[in-house]
Amino acid sequence: MRRTGLVYDERFKLHKTGPGHPEAPERLTVILRGLEAADLLPKLIPIPATAAEMRWVETVHSPEYIHRFEQACLLDLGELDSADNQICPQTYETALLAVGGILNAVDTLMEGKIDNAFCAVRPPGHHAERSEALGFCFFNNVAIAARYLQIRWKVGRVGIVDFDVHHGNGTQHIFEGDPNIFYYSIHEHPSFAYPGTGREFEKGSGSGLETTLNSTILPGQGDEEYRRKIMRDLVPAFDEFMPEVILLSAGFDAHVADDMSDIKLSTEGFSWIMKRLFRMAVQYADGRLISVLEGGYSLDVLPELIRNHVQILLDL
Amino acid sequence: MFIDKSMTRDVLTVSPETGILAAQTLMAQNRIRHLPVVVEDDILVGVVTDRDIRSAMPSSILSEAEKASEERRLAFIKVKDIMTANPVTVSPAQTLEDALLMMQNLKVGAFPVVDPEGKLKGIISMRDLTRAFVNVLGLQEPGALIGIVVENKQGQMKKIVDAITEQGVSFGSILVSRMWDEGKRAVFPYLLTTNISKVKNRLRELGFTLLDPMDWYLDQLPKR
Repeated sequence: MRRTGLVYDERFKLHKTGPGHPEAPERLTVILRGLEAADLLPKLIPIPATAAEMRWVETVHSPEYIHRFEQACLLDLGELDSADNQICPQTYETALLAVGGILNAVDTLMEGKIDNAFCAVRPPGHHAERSEALGFCFFNNVAIAARYLQIRWKVGRVGIVDFDVHHGNGTQHIFEGDPNIFYYSIHEHPSFAYPGTGREFEKGSGSGLETTLNSTILPGQGDEEYRRKIMRDLVPAFDEFMPEVILLSAGFDAHVADDMSDIKLSTEGFSWIMKRLFRMAVQYADGRLISVLEGGYSLDVLPELIRNHVQILLDL
Repeated sequence: MFIDKSMTRDVLTVSPETGILAAQTLMAQNRIRHLPVVVEDDILVGVVTDRDIRSAMPSSILSEAEKASEERRLAFIKVKDIMTANPVTVSPAQTLEDALLMMQNLKVGAFPVVDPEGKLKGIISMRDLTRAFVNVLGLQEPGALIGIVVENKQGQMKKIVDAITEQGVSFGSILVSRMWDEGKRAVFPYLLTTNISKVKNRLRELGFTLLDPMDWYLDQLPKR
């Protein structure tokens, strides 16, 4: 059994997106209920969420954008940059809290007090660009964690794996020129899914060429294609890159029951991916892995998927 | 949409007296395939393409000795000897649609753009039209495409646009495929949202049929 941290805070539900919005606080309610029902909560090491210090948020986002986001919430403008990104007066603080919780998990991990962690946070982050909110995302949680690992903990090579069904355009753009942060994403082919980036020919730029890698999955495909492409693309890439810490953008919207995509991953398919990633973390990074919740909107399957995910992290 | 807005203005040109080897180097270095040939005052007299030059080159099956003599001969060939004189041109006041249809009909990849006095103003090539097409598709903006089959009758588009607008979703573009089954068309709205499931559900409620993404096409070869 591993020592697995859990970042969760009731205040993550204060970010309200309005009726009918899929990125709803209930996602966390069902996730927590699922962990509780499986009696996993006592096995997890709770990690508190505290508001992130601005200097870390500014390693990824422009001060102008951060200010604009804060003002939009204070003035209760209802949305930021587009109607996808619904906000309420508490959204800004909630987003800072989510980032802060993940950075606390990074500290706890790097201090050797845990082996890995799952961060059940809202709002999600991987679409957020340096100066633009996109696709329900405001602060790019995983990107800030990667910069924090580089700067605060002097980690030389950070590997990010993003298995949300949508491409993490924000994360890719933020790191496409950085040879020390490898961004791998596997997602529905961009000609059929939001946001339309993450084509297989996108491989980074400048000195970061070849440390961005995208695998695309055609509509209707599922477990077999994921297996094939992870083995073909990710495994050899990480064999060479040898990340010292792995960060996951863990989205669960590729599940067959999730109507946000045309991808048909099964519950077992998700477990296979997670086991493979766990193995890679052990192989290269002494097990160091931090998983951060991104998408996943089916309230019916989320509890089971997260329960399996956490069980694999615990290595039960 | 006038050619004036989408053409390439900074055009590399050669004179009729330029050697073909120099013209070939110029094209290779700048990764272009067409060079307008101009005389004084930018008056267009012809076009030379990389293909014209390749046809003038010695065949690769020649012996070394033959090659050497061929190369001496090439050094004296000028652009005016191999160019297309009086090429088909377009005016800046013609439209992108004109250029597209002319490319299709004449099987030409680029047209020099000249004013009524015959002065070269620019060039419009497949590359410019590709850029314009990427732009109209809205591919630079984050969004997602959906495919809907509709009866080929008036008012269908309005219903779709209204339903999507009611959901608070903006459009990046709308494409229509007109080669669908008898009496049907396929409409492809590119939506600037990640929240497409609610749009799809609303369209289904209104009785529209959503297409399986694996069956989408804009164009295909005519059925025999």
